[in-house]
Amino acid sequence: MWREIANREAGKTRPNSFKSRVTSGLSSDLQLSNHKDIVSPHRGSVNSLQVDLTEGRYLLSGAADASTAVFDVQRATEYEGGGAIAKHRHVFAIDKQHRAAHKFAVSTAIWYPIDTGLFITGSYDHYIKVWDTNSTQVVMNFKMPGKVYRAAMSPLATSHMLIAAGTEDVQVRLCDIASGAFSHTLSGHRDGVMTVEWSTSSEWVLVTGGCDGAIRFWDIRRAGCFRVLDQSRTQLGRRLPVLRRSMTNKKKTVTGNGAKQQLALGRTPGKGSVKLRMHPGLLSTQDRATAHYGAVTGSRVTEDGMYLLSAGSDSRLRLWDIESGCNTLVNFETARLQTSKPIQMATSGDSRLAFVPCMTAVKAFDLWSGETSMVLRGHYENVNCCWFSSQDQELYTGGNDRQILVWSSSKPHEDVSVAEDGDNWSD
Amino acid sequence: MSVWNYVVTAHKPTNVTHSCVGNFTSPQELNLITAKCTRIEIHLLTPQGLQPMLDVPIYGRIATLELFRPHGEAQDFLFIATERYKFCVLQWDVEASELITRAMGDVSDRIGRPTDNAQIGIIDPDCRLIGLHLYDGLFKVIPFDNKGQLKEAFNIRLEELQVLDIKFLYGCAKPTIVVLYQDNKDARHVKTYEVALKDKDFVEGPWSQNNLDNGADLLIPVPPPLCGVLIIGEETIVYCSANAFKAIPIRPAITKAYGRVDADGSRYLLGDHAGLLNLLVITHEKEKVTGLKIELLGETSIPSTISYLDNAFVFIGSSFGDSQLIKLNLQPDAKGSYVEVLERYVNLGPIVDFCVVDLERQGQGQVVTCSGAYKDGSLRIVRNGIGINEQASVELQGIKGMWSLRSSTDDPFDTFLVVSFISETRVLAMNLEDELEETEIEGFYSQVQTLFCHYAVHNQLVQVTSSSVRLVSSTTRELRNEWNAPSGYSINVATANASQVLLATGGGNLVYLEIGDGVLTEVKHTQLEYEISCLDINPIGDNLNHSQLAAVGMWTDISVRIFSLPDLNLVTKEHLGGEIIPRSVLLCSFEGISYLLCALGDGHLLNFQLNLMSGELTDRKKVSLGTQPITLRTFSSKNATHVFAASDRPTVIYSSNKKLLYSNVNLKEVSHMCPFNSAAFPDSLAIAKEGELTIGTIDEIQKLHIRSIPLGEHARRICHQEQSRTFAICSLKHQTSAEESETHFVRLLDDQTFEFLSAYQLDPFEYGCSLLSCSFSDDSNVYYCVGTAYVLPEENEPTKGRILVFSIEDGKLQLITEKETKGAVYSLNAFNGKLLAAINQKIQLYKWMLRDDGSRELQSECGHHGHILALYVQTRGDFIVVGDLMKSISLLIYKHEEGAIEERARDYNANWMSAVEILDDDIYIGSENNYNLFTVRKNSEGATDEERSRLEVIGEYHLGEFVNRFRHGSLVMRLPDSDVGQIPTVIFGTINGVIGVIASLPHDQYLFLEKLQTNLRKVIKGVGGLSHEQWRSFNNEKRTADAKNFLDGDLIESFLDLSRVRMDEISKAMSVSVEELCKRVEELTRLH
Repeated sequence: MWREIANREAGKTRPNSFKSRVTSGLSSDLQLSNHKDIVSPHRGSVNSLQVDLTEGRYLLSGAADASTAVFDVQRATEYEGGGAIAKHRHVFAIDKQHRAAHKFAVSTAIWYPIDTGLFITGSYDHYIKVWDTNSTQVVMNFKMPGKVYRAAMSPLATSHMLIAAGTEDVQVRLCDIASGAFSHTLSGHRDGVMTVEWSTSSEWVLVTGGCDGAIRFWDIRRAGCFRVLDQSRTQLGRRLPVLRRSMTNKKKTVTGNGAKQQLALGRTPGKGSVKLRMHPGLLSTQDRATAHYGAVTGSRVTEDGMYLLSAGSDSRLRLWDIESGCNTLVNFETARLQTSKPIQMATSGDSRLAFVPCMTAVKAFDLWSGETSMVLRGHYENVNCCWFSSQDQELYTGGNDRQILVWSSSKPHEDVSVAEDGDNWSD
Repeated sequence: MSVWNYVVTAHKPTNVTHSCVGNFTSPQELNLITAKCTRIEIHLLTPQGLQPMLDVPIYGRIATLELFRPHGEAQDFLFIATERYKFCVLQWDVEASELITRAMGDVSDRIGRPTDNAQIGIIDPDCRLIGLHLYDGLFKVIPFDNKGQLKEAFNIRLEELQVLDIKFLYGCAKPTIVVLYQDNKDARHVKTYEVALKDKDFVEGPWSQNNLDNGADLLIPVPPPLCGVLIIGEETIVYCSANAFKAIPIRPAITKAYGRVDADGSRYLLGDHAGLLNLLVITHEKEKVTGLKIELLGETSIPSTISYLDNAFVFIGSSFGDSQLIKLNLQPDAKGSYVEVLERYVNLGPIVDFCVVDLERQGQGQVVTCSGAYKDGSLRIVRNGIGINEQASVELQGIKGMWSLRSSTDDPFDTFLVVSFISETRVLAMNLEDELEETEIEGFYSQVQTLFCHYAVHNQLVQVTSSSVRLVSSTTRELRNEWNAPSGYSINVATANASQVLLATGGGNLVYLEIGDGVLTEVKHTQLEYEISCLDINPIGDNLNHSQLAAVGMWTDISVRIFSLPDLNLVTKEHLGGEIIPRSVLLCSFEGISYLLCALGDGHLLNFQLNLMSGELTDRKKVSLGTQPITLRTFSSKNATHVFAASDRPTVIYSSNKKLLYSNVNLKEVSHMCPFNSAAFPDSLAIAKEGELTIGTIDEIQKLHIRSIPLGEHARRICHQEQSRTFAICSLKHQTSAEESETHFVRLLDDQTFEFLSAYQLDPFEYGCSLLSCSFSDDSNVYYCVGTAYVLPEENEPTKGRILVFSIEDGKLQLITEKETKGAVYSLNAFNGKLLAAINQKIQLYKWMLRDDGSRELQSECGHHGHILALYVQTRGDFIVVGDLMKSISLLIYKHEEGAIEERARDYNANWMSAVEILDDDIYIGSENNYNLFTVRKNSEGATDEERSRLEVIGEYHLGEFVNRFRHGSLVMRLPDSDVGQIPTVIFGTINGVIGVIASLPHDQYLFLEKLQTNLRKVIKGVGGLSHEQWRSFNNEKRTADAKNFLDGDLIESFLDLSRVRMDEISKAMSVSVEELCKRVEELTRLH
């Protein structure tokens, strides 16, 4: 580390590459944190985790016992072990005792993206509630047609305040906080919708994944969905992702090159179909395309807005190129994914690692090669959700064992303090 | 200090990041254009060398700089892209000699991740499009239309995520790029793509090449007729094209920059990380490449850019050392080098550390920086103001005036120095031993005070005393003629030049005499209504011996008047206003412009432009130089005229770019000055100050003076110790020969001579990280403390370090004690007579303990956890301010009773810090990774715990420079009784070699200047149409916010460079007079 700092101050490393080196170093060395503990007040499985987007300071959790809690992840409530272990207790928790609390499991809890004054919870009791953080009172209620699986707000939006909600129902609804009513109903899915995600590059684009195996892209300014991802439409026709090319390159065959040339030529008609797909009235064949066999249980748009990672009940992870809508065919070494529930995945700040709950473990995959780079084991039961804080380079995970665990790059804290004390006496 | 800060550059960036050569200013002229991060400089190539034409700030950090020539144009256009995604195309306007903007725009995207490597901007050799690589995975294309105008930009997906370099290929029917990239197995490849403008997409290019040298990171496109590309690796150089592949091995080196020698692209200059310059030759038979050859030419500074100018002249731009102009000789010199360095351009960057010292103990700060890197490492002593190098001095009390005289009219040197006292006049002269000896000029009256003395035509000298004017032969030294004042009147003030004398007697009588051969003739006499306070007839026209005009300062009505000579007609009368009488007037001319300077009794100076024909006075300006009466004198140095203003704050007035500049002289109080150019002391000045007469030469007339102490190794930390009069540095020496190996030292230097006194070599792998001079409680000695880290190749983060405590004994470093630590010691601070160290995540306090055997040791007392890495620490009283690697600033407090350190408050933003400093008890300043500055305030009166525990961000500003260090101090002499003397300042040093000053202003002044800045933004348009407001807005990955509580001093001070018309425009908008504005801005320029 000192060498990197020295190179930065001498102008040999640019500050931005210094930063990404350090963060990728920290995020690729995650372990169960030995200096930070979150004390979970939940008495049911933790279904949803999110740190606020403005300050990166408050962690919001939602659990199956109908409770939600907020933790300050920057400032510990107390210390143990001579100041070495920071305990973070909840700032407040809302459980069933609360007058306005949900009746059934909270499946999703998200912050209002502009500030921490509001947060939104969705529950199996068919309600989405908007809460005032300071008074912990409900300021708005949306009655949904079925169990709420996932709610999302656009992190970019400057001109709308819409909560996109995926429920048991086939329709995706957009709840407008400004008016307190549904502003849109997006129809297209043939089954309930487990995942909703806003684009990280356009405030108008919404991505939904349904139990019908389809992933649909919506531009909320227009009618209908403008793209359905098709697992069989791959990038092979286009230029390949890095790894693949380097692998084919390694074969060093002339035919490999020739084949690519041909494919490149054959791309032009594909281009035409791209234009067709943009049309609101999709061709029926394309409308039936699926991204996964079975339900889409999780989705995550990378922070650079270029890729979408999706998880399905077929225990597959797929990485999609958003611009072209192609399956990049990165082969993720997944074992089994939880199928009954939506899962919340996370990506590291530099979009290099994807954190995916795989039963009782969380696996970190290299996004470009699909290889497992870390397996984080710590939960006793299935993991439901993870959230990566790119501010602290920490991963928070919540599982059916009701725990919220913190994963961070290890620090030799305890050794230091013990050894320091020893030093005082030894010399 | 206060919340309201004023940021100004004292030393501009000098790190040359880009350079290019082309016909920019005219089709016939060849220009070198260099980029120094936030400035561009345009030079003209002349037979005499590089002639600077323009130096302008750019509102952005320059990411790419390219010259190109659209179809149908006779000269080149300049393309600039900034790191914050703005671009502009500039053209030279020959008539106005300024830059005009052809096009500008924003190329930022919502999508994609900003690339970690350098941003790439390239222009198709056939001018069909501009290509930009700014985000990983995206290639932005800005196409040109047929008329050379830019069309709408679009992105093309580039699947190669780790792009190292992209270049356009020459000689392709369709624009074709070649991409050098690294895959996620760390292998490097090149690939070509054709840009299909119509489809807005790539088509697979004609060829590709896999598995190159692992160190390949530079592509050089080869122009026709050969075409293709050179791929420069660390161990091989490859030439690659669709039908040829040639490779040669090279001595392992990291090539930093290249310059193309021939237009046909057969020869290239390559500069590597060790500063070695190689010539790469592509051998070819007609258009067929047959091989590559490489030859070592010699050594230069470590280059960041190389531009081949013409006729074997090459410009080497450097980031780590001085930039150079070199000539490549045909024959090697004695050392076998073909390189001859013709000129060096000072570069302070990277300033890794610096200290502010007052070596001469005059109250004038000097900055000593650790500059440069690798072999070009050096210490630089940066000093403001002009120094006098003392040659001789004698003790003489009560000097009332001084003049130098020549022994004959055509003698080039001065012989006599006439020194006048209250009741006598003494003459000093150079004797044969070149010593100053008292002598006599018989014709002079030596029992009275001399009012004025001058040499005159026909080998004569003039002496004016209160009773008479005496004309003396300089050869025989005898009196030739005398003019006596009318009885009852005595001469009060007088002046003369070689052929004229003007004097004033009591009662407002003004007498004009002319000097002939042995005769003094009273030509004119006139009576004015008031007493005369000062006079001048310094010739400023073509005739050097005769003046057409006389300047006269008056009592009572406080005016200055211009009379014509010889008839003494009043031409102009200018009331000065106020109640302070003029004490000295001077007619002078700088750079062909005539001025009248008028100094007042309270240290203010007025200057006017003088029309020689009409005698009109225009452009009145007022500045404050000191607080005591000023005496003005001209002198010349290096063939230019300057004015010396002697007062309690001596100043040299000179002109640059037709603008008057004021530079302090580093002397405390000067009562009189006269030039004394003798054979023994050429170009010297005689200076009367505080009871002594000094003869000395003057430094070059410029604002900042930089002295360079080359070290040959990279200094990382510097610290000064007053008591032992030494500097200590932590440095490292690179062994270039074998494997990259480094040796680290702690060195001791004399603070006057900068000689190495002593060195302590650190262990292998041990780096010096921090350095401190301090003393401990219960111990009167002063020590140097050094914090180190063992940086082992296999460890990500150091787990072991040391704190070494040295004392200075007989000018040598003596290790007193050492203490092992569990990590890198990033920072050391003296804290309540103890030592506070920042060790990895922890802040640790050590006590200085006396052991039973009388030896000393450091014993840990308490510590504080809770940082990612505590990199930068400052203390004040019991407070500790920590700048974390990535968690902004936190405030800790040491509790004496409990003997514990606790966190009091912190800033919850995710700033990656690069330096912190405590401005005052409540306000702390930090600089961070995205080139921003910010201030935070402790909120001790907050109502809730939450409020009290939060450091409130109160100021934000985009500096555009990476700050490595803040230090309290000032570059200028602080006079306690002047306005700016009260303004506390902090100095900072950056990677680009900028030395900047942050000054805390009173609120009313801040508001006034903020208004001025707003108005200046409207009047001064940024080069390329870039917005100043956007440039100074705080910006990081997450957010952009307008600058607040910081002012851009560089913009505000550029007010003084504006034309009168635009000044008037601003004055009107502000409803403040131009004079007042000038005065207030000029006061600010005295902060640096």
